[in-house]
Parts: sequence; C-alpha cells; structure tokens
Amino acid sequence: MNEVAIAFEGLTKTYTAKGKRVEAVKRLTLTIERGEFFGLLGPNGAGKTTTIGVIAGTVKPTAGSVRVFGLDAVRDYRKVHKLVGVMPQEEALDSWFLNVREILVYSAGYFGLAPREARRRADALLKRFDLWDKRKAEVKELSGGMKRRLMLAKALIHDPEILILDEPTAGADVALRRQLWALMRELNAQGKTILLTTHYLEEAEELCGRVAILDQGELVAVGPPEELTKRVGGDVVEIELDARPAALEAAKGLKALAAKVKAKAGTTLKDGKLVLPGTLEDPAVLETLSELARAGVKIRAIHAHRARLEDVFVELTRGLKA
Amino acid sequence: MNAGATPEALSKARISLRESAIAFYTLWKREMVRYLKDPLDTIVPPILDVILFILIFGIALGVRLGEVGGFPYIQFMLPGLLMMSVIMNSFYNPAYSVFQSRWQGNIFDFLSSPLSYTQMATAIILAGVCRGLLVGGIVLAAALLLTDLPFAHPPLVIAELLLVAVAFAGFGCVVGLWTKGWDGVNAISLFLLDPLVMLGGVFYSPEMLEGVPPLEALTRWNPFTYLIGTFRYAVLGLELEGMSPWPGLALSALLAVGMLAWAIALFRRGYHLKS
Ligand SMILES: Nc1ncnc2c1ncn2[C@@H]1O[C@H](COP(=O)(O)OP(=O)(O)OP(=O)(O)O)[C@@H](O)[C@H]1O
Ligand SMILES: [Mg+2]
Repeated sequence: MNEVAIAFEGLTKTYTAKGKRVEAVKRLTLTIERGEFFGLLGPNGAGKTTTIGVIAGTVKPTAGSVRVFGLDAVRDYRKVHKLVGVMPQEEALDSWFLNVREILVYSAGYFGLAPREARRRADALLKRFDLWDKRKAEVKELSGGMKRRLMLAKALIHDPEILILDEPTAGADVALRRQLWALMRELNAQGKTILLTTHYLEEAEELCGRVAILDQGELVAVGPPEELTKRVGGDVVEIELDARPAALEAAKGLKALAAKVKAKAGTTLKDGKLVLPGTLEDPAVLETLSELARAGVKIRAIHAHRARLEDVFVELTRGLKA
Repeated sequence: MNAGATPEALSKARISLRESAIAFYTLWKREMVRYLKDPLDTIVPPILDVILFILIFGIALGVRLGEVGGFPYIQFMLPGLLMMSVIMNSFYNPAYSVFQSRWQGNIFDFLSSPLSYTQMATAIILAGVCRGLLVGGIVLAAALLLTDLPFAHPPLVIAELLLVAVAFAGFGCVVGLWTKGWDGVNAISLFLLDPLVMLGGVFYSPEMLEGVPPLEALTRWNPFTYLIGTFRYAVLGLELEGMSPWPGLALSALLAVGMLAWAIALFRRGYHLKS
C-alpha cells in the first residue's frame, strides 16, 4: 500500500501587500507519496516557496489545507515540523554569534535532541558534508557551496522523514550541483521522501520520479518527466533546408510534401526549417527525407532533438500567459 | 482527530515532555548566549552607567541633598536605579533579539521547529528576565560596596523584581515583533521608556517636586512612579505620602500578565513572523 506523505487539498494563498492582492497559490490539490523524489517546477513567482512555506510554518494559508502523514500542517504544526526538514531558498543561518558547528547543535536542540546526541549528529553531518575542517569557522568565512551544504545538514539534523529543498542548487557551480545531486539521491535511496523545487529542468529530469509544474499559482501538469514530455509531442527531428520558403514553394514535388506535412500533426515548416515529430529511425521521417531528396531540395543540417521537460515547461507556462 | 494519519508517522511525530523541555531550554540558552558572548557590549555599559549615577548623584550631589524620607539620598536613590536597570535590560534583550532574528532570517529555525509559539515567546522573555535580574544583581552588588540597604520586605523585593522584569521583557518581545527596523527599538526606549523611568521617581520623591506643578503631575500620573515606589517600599520600608505599595504591586502583576499574554498572542498569530 502506498502511504501519502504530503497531501495538498485546495491550498490557496492570497497575499495583500499595499492594497494589491496577489493570488500566489490557487486551489492546489496534489498528493506526494512516501519515498517519492518529487519536483515542484515553475518560473519565478509561480508560488513554489509559498507552497512550501505552509509546511515550514512561515506562510498562513488563506484556504485549503496541507496534511503531512495525515497531520494538518497548521493545527498540528509541532508534530509536522518534527517529520519535516526544510532547506529554505534564502540563506537564513543563525550566524551572529554561532559558529558552523554550534549552528547545527542548536538546531538539533530545537528539535528536542539532548546535547550529547545533538553534538554527535552535528559532527557526523559535518564530516559527511565535508565541513569538518570548517566546524569552528564563522558562516561568513564559508564559500557559497559550503553554506549550501551547511543548510542541507541543518535540514537533516533531526533525521526527518520528509526533506523539502527550495532551490538547493540555485547558483551552484557544476561540481557542487553534482555533489548535491549525489547527496539527494543517496538520501532518497535511504527512504527519505524528497520535495525539491528547482528552475533547472535538467535537474528535475535527472532526479525526480514525478514533477508538478506550477504557473502563476496554478498547477498546470503533474506526472513523471518522461510522460509529460511525451504529452507535448515527444522527440522531434529538425531539418534545415538550404533554400528560402519562397524558393521551396516553387520546388517541384513540394505539394506532395505539404500534404504529408499536414497529414502529420505537430509538423511545421517555417523559415526554411522543417520540424517533424519522431526520431531518425522513424519510417515517416525517413520517407520525408527521401522525398525532399527526390524534390531536389538540398538539406543543410539535420538535428535529432529529444524532447525535454524544458519543452513541456515552455509550452505550458507560455500558454497560460498568452 | 487526525483522520488519515498513519500510526508509524504518528509515533515519529510524537513530542515527549523531555524533548519539549530540551527545545525550550535550547532557545532560552541561545538568547542568553547571544548577549553573554559580548559582555563588553551588553552587560558592561549599563552597569557603568549605573555606577556613574551612583557616584555622581548618590555620592557627590547626595551629600548636599541630605535625607529623603529619613534615608540618606544614596539609599533613597538605589532602589530606583535598580528598578531602572531591570526595566531597561529586560526590555532590550528580547526587543533586539527578536528583531535581529527576523531581520537575519534565523527566526525560520524557531518557526520550522517543534517549538510551540507559546514556548518561543516564553523562552525569549525568560532570557530577558534573566538579563534584567543579572544586571540588577551586579548593580546591587556594586552598590552594597558603597552603602547598606535594609531590605525591609524581602518577599516583596523578589516579587516586584520578577514581575517588573517579566512585564518589560514581554513588552520588549512585542516591540521586537512590531518594529520594522533597529530604530524602532531605540525610539521606544528613547521616547517612551527613558522619560517614564526618569519621571517615575528614580531620583526624587513626588513631594520634592511640589514647587513644580507640571512635573509633579507627570510624576503622580506616571505608572512607573508606583512600580518604583513599591520597590522602594520593599527595599527601604519607606512609604511615601499617598503612595501605598499595593497599587504598585497590583500594577506590576497586571503588566506582567498582560505583556506576557500579548507577546504570546502575537507569536501565535504569526504577527510579522508569517506572511
Ligand atoms: N510576503 C509576500 N507578500 C506579498 N507577496 C508575496 C509575498 N511572498 C510572495 N509573494 C508573491 O507571491 C507570488 C509567489 O511567490 P513565491 O515566492 O511563492 O514564488 P516562487 O515560485 O518561489 O518564485 P522563485 O522561483 O522566484 O523563488 C509572487 O508573485 C510573489 O511576488
Ligand atoms: Mg521561491
């Protein structure tokens, strides 16, 4: 039986700032199962941080609810917080007078861990996240990547069931991103449910079993990345023709081609670029290529392009704004 | 009540009394360490201030002032100074700390933890009370090197100190939530607390102002006069004319309960904490 880790039920958040109302999240209904690696995607201002904030205790929902293992995030906030570790988007480390290790030890304390256990866990995480040498450093002495790792360690200090990461890799270089990916994968493999928000579609494709796409507070798609990509048309082959459309029009046999083009949904001919759904192994694509050859149309280049989550994302989030 | 909750998750979500106590203790300790780490910034200046007051007013000028209500001026003044130290220090700690945590963002640590909102407010206020009493204690120790105090009613001394510390730490917590900048805290202390304390009879008795009607009225209508009056009665056994200690005690208790409840209510509402 699948266990529900997080259930959003009609979650709505309306901000009123200076007389202006912003509907940051609109009737979000979504279920995340235990053990999932779930991605929450959306452009800037889509409502990702707001959605997470209701669980983290920083946002008061306007309507609807969030349940974490069946517990209401507002009414049972204390219990919910015990089950969840949150790594916020903004750096919010208690760095005024605490050093790296103390930050972790105090965090553990807020979760009820006795001092000795708190120190043991802090040290284990410092070693695991390559911060041991910096344990006595002040936060301002850390590099951006070290701060990220410290924030992740802090989210894990009470060994939560669910890990919520708000754009953990934003601004990270390739090496750090790979390192964070490896850590997240490892944590998920150990059974932690992960809810990740990101702008990097590649990241979601790489890590997430399922993703949800939010746009202007609305849920516009949910599913495994492969399925979403298929929905938008799957793979495409782009054929750059060595001729202007006007010249092409005149070319012999293009009528037949045009008929074929119309016959296949999703095929477009624009600016001398013919885009066909499918792969290079696809008979229809191969046939079109030979037809072009027969018509005497020269081909400048062929790109076989595997449809990516990015295409879905662009399509869905642009569609709404138009 | 928790329809749909899975038993396993529920067992992991349980918060034992011990865990709850550790969480509270940790936040209290954080608030203490925050100011104990920099004693040169937080503990020493208010004590130096008070010692200067003692030297200048109590000793240098006090000789000329003679006795007030049968006590040497320095003895008359000391309970007022003590009260002033306790009021200001209890206030400053939560006010600055709460604002700093909001501004720095580390308030997130508390908000996303299993601490209850009541625990957050009370741990922060308790640390403020501790700072007030700590500074008060040091001032008292310094003062006792210079003069004697009779401590006429010890239980009342303790009760009044505690109630006033709770009241102003609670108020500090409210101000720390309310303010939009560091200036807010300073403004409250400069325009509200300082004048009320100074005009509350720290350095004089209301009768000493009989020739100055506006000041006398300000002093008589100032609630701080009664807080300080009660404390002075507890320490010296001196009951000034028209100033029974009991209204002051009742007022302290009312303020303590009221401010504590106010701070807790604001935390529960997420005032300036949640969007
Ligand atoms: N405290 C607030 N007061 C008023 N409006 C807010 C507040 N916080 C967020 N908003 C608005 O709500 C909307 C959603 O913001 P949110 O931070 O949830 O987006 P996001 O998806 O996390 O964006 P990003 O990818 O940039 O982090 C935005 O229009 C934002 O301006
Ligand atoms: Mg965000």
